[in-house]
Amino acid sequence: MDENEAFEYVKSTLKKEKITPYHSDELEIVKSIGACINCGLCINHCPVVASVGLDRFSGPRSIAVELSRSPPEFWATADKVYLCTGCGTCREVCPKNVNIPEIVNIVRANIFEHRPDLVPKGLMIVKEIIEEHNLAFEPWEDKEEKEESRDMRLERLGIPYIPDVVKENAEVLFYPGCQAEERAQEVREAAKAILDYFDVDYTLLDEFSCCSLPSHLMGDAKTARNLAHQLKGKVKKLGVKKVVTTCAGCTSNLADLSVRDEWGAPAYHLLEYLVEEIGFEKLADALKKVAKPNDVHVSVHDPCHLIRHTSRQVMEHALNILRLMPGVRVTESVEHDNCCGGGGMVSFHASEVANSVVQENMMALEKTGAERLVTPCPLCTAQIENNLFKSGSSIEVDDLTVFIAQRLPKKE
Amino acid sequence: MDLETDLVVIGGGMAGLIAGTIAAEAGLDTILLRKGQSATAYSSGAIDVIGYLPEASEPIISPEEGLFALSRLYPLHPYNVLGYDKRIEFEKVMENIVGRTKDTVTWLKAHLDGTIAPLMGDFESNMHPITILGTTKPTCLIQKTMHNGDVQDREDSVLLFVGIMGYADFNPSTAAKTYLEDRMAAAGPPRKVGHCIIQVMPFGKPYNVSSIELARHLDHEGSIENLAEQLKEHIEQIGATHVAFPPVLGLQDALKNKEKLEELTGTTVFELLGFPPSIPGQRLQRALETIFTKAGGKMLLGHEATSYLKVDDNLKSITAASPRREIKIDAKAFVLATGKYIGGGIAGDETGLRETVFDLKPVTGDYHSAMEIVPSRFTSRLSISPTGQPIQSCGLSVDPRFRPVDEDGLEWAKNLFAAGAVLAGYNYSVEKSGLGVAATSGYSAAKNAIEFIKEVA
Ligand SMILES: Cc1cc2nc3c(=O)[nH]c(=O)nc-3n(C[C@H](O)[C@H](O)[C@H](O)COP(=O)(O)OP(=O)(O)OC[C@H]3O[C@@H](n4cnc5c(N)ncnc54)[C@H](O)[C@@H]3O)c2cc1C
Ligand code: SF4
Ligand code: SF4
Repeated sequence: MDENEAFEYVKSTLKKEKITPYHSDELEIVKSIGACINCGLCINHCPVVASVGLDRFSGPRSIAVELSRSPPEFWATADKVYLCTGCGTCREVCPKNVNIPEIVNIVRANIFEHRPDLVPKGLMIVKEIIEEHNLAFEPWEDKEEKEESRDMRLERLGIPYIPDVVKENAEVLFYPGCQAEERAQEVREAAKAILDYFDVDYTLLDEFSCCSLPSHLMGDAKTARNLAHQLKGKVKKLGVKKVVTTCAGCTSNLADLSVRDEWGAPAYHLLEYLVEEIGFEKLADALKKVAKPNDVHVSVHDPCHLIRHTSRQVMEHALNILRLMPGVRVTESVEHDNCCGGGGMVSFHASEVANSVVQENMMALEKTGAERLVTPCPLCTAQIENNLFKSGSSIEVDDLTVFIAQRLPKKE
Repeated sequence: MDLETDLVVIGGGMAGLIAGTIAAEAGLDTILLRKGQSATAYSSGAIDVIGYLPEASEPIISPEEGLFALSRLYPLHPYNVLGYDKRIEFEKVMENIVGRTKDTVTWLKAHLDGTIAPLMGDFESNMHPITILGTTKPTCLIQKTMHNGDVQDREDSVLLFVGIMGYADFNPSTAAKTYLEDRMAAAGPPRKVGHCIIQVMPFGKPYNVSSIELARHLDHEGSIENLAEQLKEHIEQIGATHVAFPPVLGLQDALKNKEKLEELTGTTVFELLGFPPSIPGQRLQRALETIFTKAGGKMLLGHEATSYLKVDDNLKSITAASPRREIKIDAKAFVLATGKYIGGGIAGDETGLRETVFDLKPVTGDYHSAMEIVPSRFTSRLSISPTGQPIQSCGLSVDPRFRPVDEDGLEWAKNLFAAGAVLAGYNYSVEKSGLGVAATSGYSAAKNAIEFIKEVA
């Protein structure tokens, strides 16, 4: 019996009790919860507690000492446990680094399996879309319209169109993520333009499919494992050496999958690739070649999945790249690293919670006097952009990949 | 991914952040790693230098007096490490110890001015702020928001303890009772003490309200005016001259909020010292981070030092791990400020105690090997005893330059310095010396690291 079969066997024996045994890669997470010293430090830092109060969302300590320890099917925790944005702030400040964001996913997986009736409806809608299309968003019905939309965006932004390439044995697989594949197409195109500019030998997927993070976050462990399996097959078949993405969530998730599923190709955010593989020197040369760059005053938002799920050094790279750009002035806001509220699938079922989290960021942003916000994640971009727009703010938001592509000279 | 720098500081509490700030101000390229927040963020936010001698029940009048007593009773106390330096003449040892501690206190006060945690008090005498239990505690520096003015001097003073509905961490009637008994025993003012409950509802509900919600809420426009309005009636009722709040007066603007409340109510308003994790502790932690980054230091939050490379007696690099990346950092010198059991610098299990980054050999409070000390057997049955828990005094033994030494008394590496709670030989909870030792040793470790880097260059 291999490990999977053993797992399924044990699971079947516990079905009546509504207990799902833990996968071996979940044990570390479960153990980390046991290290909680019940100190409450995390509560003071949780962005959801800060914006809706402890009464609505009982906070990370309660997840560690109560919600993750309730009856096998965890059903009693459902109204709270779906409000965590998975931002990882609690884990980062916790003296014991208790892995709250991941235990939340495990609890959600138990609810999903045993009490699907308690999963928020908004998440079930996404589940159906993923099942049907292998994508987290409803794809465009009309391919031509999709292309038109893409071309319009590229023209407005002044980014060149580079035709898609799909080939085996390229150095790099560029993986745009669902948001850039279907919605923020300019991010996908901008990344291609950047990779092309620096003559990176890259390929796209023949047929794009979701990285599995949304399924993982809503607790649909089965679909998550299926999608991960599918993606592994595609990466293996292409035979690439590295995987590069422009989405913060994909970065951390692909980094996990590439290790867990032994892809033999590590995954990076484009920023990391630019700094570590292309290098500051080449970047500086290129960025300086632009004839008359516009002066622009920007502020930056740090995506949780890059700073707290990957490494804070990634945003250090982002700032260093911005500093290389002639005419660009950066003012950091005091809430630059506060969650935008868009994570953990919260915005799909409790948008009022997600939107109150982002208020803190918006207030701090206004204080910087910046005219533009840049952030290396298309999902953070959308969440912040929508809310700024609704509030009537004049601040514009750009995905950082787009911002970089716009400031590269024409390729000689 | 590799980085190169002059100094790496491991640990982001009081000791690490002070060491880092001193180094960055001296022009060193400094990177500080922090895997989490810790004792500094938990603290009440008041800086203890030395409040009690172990086993004594009367508080110490001034830090200087305390340091003199410590030097005689506990020559190996971290405050006395300076004294082992052979370069210092015997007669000057005490002068140096007192001088360095005083310099640290003055430095800290000056640096935190203008941050969200400005301090007051001085090295000449301990202060006695009131806690949320209604007791007082000796400490050297308090945050300005905790200053209770002349409540204990003015003959006609009347103190009102204010609780908040739905905020369970503070019971104003118990605090008032305890405090009044204490003052009656001391036969000093205030002779009248009252208590009341008001409503502050950050999210529109008068229940299940937490410190952080209150603090953030009071930073918002209009909240203080609303609070003052409710207070007036209670103040008039008992003729209060002073008003005590739990420590939630604000995260960013606590001092401004205190002053505004004073203006609106015509009383002296102050925060009590609270339970961990307190908002003033959080303000102190943030303020220290601010001065470090302002000095040009670089902070790598969420990174843990997990391994190192040492060649002969020279520490070359450490590896900093984040959730999904590893960074190798080369440096000329290193400061270990990883705290104790909460911070994670020292850990213990059934096999004994160990230092967690370099596997250095911990010692007990009397400097015997602590490697085989089993935590459960090194704690006394009384949770609060005048001698404290012996396990609290375990940690690293250092040379006069604050470099950890191994069993034979030789430094483990010539460029590794240690500071703060990771050190052995003191028991902060009985002495009331925690943040003071962390600050002074952080200050000293940094000075020595700077000197070392200059010598090598
Ligand atoms: C509940 C409580 C209340 C207290 N109240 C007071 C008070 O009111 N006044 C007072 O003066 N003292 C108080 N003390 C004592 C005082 O807070 C501590 O003695 C002091 O903060 C120690 O500071 P430190 O910098 O040495 O350690 P810490 O503040 O514990 O910092 C250690 C740091 O090292 C980091 N770290 C550990 N290992 C690694 C690693 N491998 N890699 C990277 N980072 C690492 C930790 O994450 C943490 O940031 C209190 C202590 C406690 C526990
Ligand atoms: S999760 Fe961490 S910070 Fe929160 S209560 Fe537990 S130990 Fe403290
Ligand atoms: S992951 Fe973020 S939202 Fe979730 S409990 Fe922790 S701090 Fe709060």
